Amino acid sequence: MAKAKIKFADVNVTVTVPVGTRIIEISEKVGSYIAYNCREGDCGSCLFTVLEGAEHLSKPSAPEKATIFAHFQQILDGWRSANDMESLQAMILRENFAGKNCRLACQTQVFGDATVAPL
Amino acid sequence: MNGQHMKNEAIAVTNKVHWIGALDPTMRTFDVILKTPNGTTYNAYLVRGSEGVAVIDTVKAERADQFFTRLEAVARYHEITAIVLNHLEPDHSGALPELMRRAPQAKLYISDAAQLMLKALLNNNDIDYIPVTTNDSISLGDCTLRFLNTPYLHWPDTQCTYLVEEGVLFSGDVFGCHYCDELLFNDRVGDFRFSFEYYYNHIMRPFKAYVLSALELIEPLPIQLIAPTHGPILRDHPQHYVQHYRELSTPHLHLERDRDTKSMIIFYISSYGNTMHMAEAIRDGAAEVGGFRISLYDLEGGEVEPFIDLVEEADAILLGSPTINGDAVKPVWDLLSSFSKINVKGKVAGAFGSYGWTGEAVRMIDDRLRGLKMRVPLSGLRIKLIPSADELQDCHRFGQDIGNFLIGKPRAREIDMSQL
Repeated sequence: MAKAKIKFADVNVTVTVPVGTRIIEISEKVGSYIAYNCREGDCGSCLFTVLEGAEHLSKPSAPEKATIFAHFQQILDGWRSANDMESLQAMILRENFAGKNCRLACQTQVFGDATVAPL
Repeated sequence: MNGQHMKNEAIAVTNKVHWIGALDPTMRTFDVILKTPNGTTYNAYLVRGSEGVAVIDTVKAERADQFFTRLEAVARYHEITAIVLNHLEPDHSGALPELMRRAPQAKLYISDAAQLMLKALLNNNDIDYIPVTTNDSISLGDCTLRFLNTPYLHWPDTQCTYLVEEGVLFSGDVFGCHYCDELLFNDRVGDFRFSFEYYYNHIMRPFKAYVLSALELIEPLPIQLIAPTHGPILRDHPQHYVQHYRELSTPHLHLERDRDTKSMIIFYISSYGNTMHMAEAIRDGAAEVGGFRISLYDLEGGEVEPFIDLVEEADAILLGSPTINGDAVKPVWDLLSSFSKINVKGKVAGAFGSYGWTGEAVRMIDDRLRGLKMRVPLSGLRIKLIPSADELQDCHRFGQDIGNFLIGKPRAREIDMSQL
């Protein structure tokens, strides 16, 4: 079976996994700070960021993109109501990454070497 | 007091607000986990404005008769313009379908997060509702209902609703308790502190961080009265209960001078001293890393509750158990089964133990810790019978590795998934 190396930068662990493994199946076993809740792509808890090798991960599905967008939207709304313009601008920058460098650990499969970290 | 004496009257709470809830004095066990010696109340309220009537929360389906009788005493169904559900748990949404049938013109207001739950709870996809969040409000003419998004108190959907003109906070389960007295108000029902504390400890305690976030929204409000969904209505010194929630939710160690120093706790239990020796070597290894507090406790010398208080404040928890009859021992499971009473998610954790034949305990503890979403950086350390000098070195290194992980300097490792 083809293998790939996935590195969790926050805990300094590199794991060799069978191709197709979902990030969450590994992150929870190495003690990564990537959080999780529903494991079904609904809640947005397991957002993480791709530091290297985004092209070696499965492409985000439409529901995954929707969950990521909703998560950012919620934070955005909070900051807008608090009139926190600085954070708002930082958020807009990060929002542009949604679906590219920001992914859901419960949805993303590993197809080649990559480095990831909690958001 | 017995609810039957009360003749199902609506009770005036303020000029604009009536209590139209239900008494359940015979209930003894709530939600499987909660006990109550005198039952509970399901508090629902009716707000009458110059241009509209709102019903805030309903009651458990089995007590709906009381609710509708009280509602009918102060309003007609066609007058109802708004129904607000602060929390969708069945003890508050039970009478909703019937209320919507009787008042079809009323608009239903729920939190954003309540939307998916509403469909799953009522098994009806055709319900019209308006999702609301912090700073949204609705007008009843001379009354304004403003919403506060206060999630995870104690479900994702929970919110509070504030009646601006009278300073009334309809708080949902927050500030509630399972206590039943038809005199209803906190200055009339006698001493209910035991119930208030018990309710907080069993319902709100795992969500302390969310309580603190909610208090940021609640504390600035000029509150005259708190109207929760269970137990006494808090009209006498309502701010006292808000302050109490802040005290109960603030981490104790954060009040101390050394507030940013992390804590590691090593719990163990040992039949022949082998697991204890492992615990001591792990402690010494962790101490070598330094920069955080370390405490070592023998589970045999204490009770679960104070240990849970310690776990709640700690950043890393290690658990040592021998294997007896293929399992971790009961005091370890007793402690672990209480972890869900507090928030342990994200804390660093690990397991270790000496064994005689097969040594299943450590892996079982590891699985439980991971199942609780604790961060377990290393697979548990198992040693057959009496630890040798080399094996005590392994324990020492285990302590060092966990210590370095705790302070954010984890040792680089390369592993195969099959080793996890």
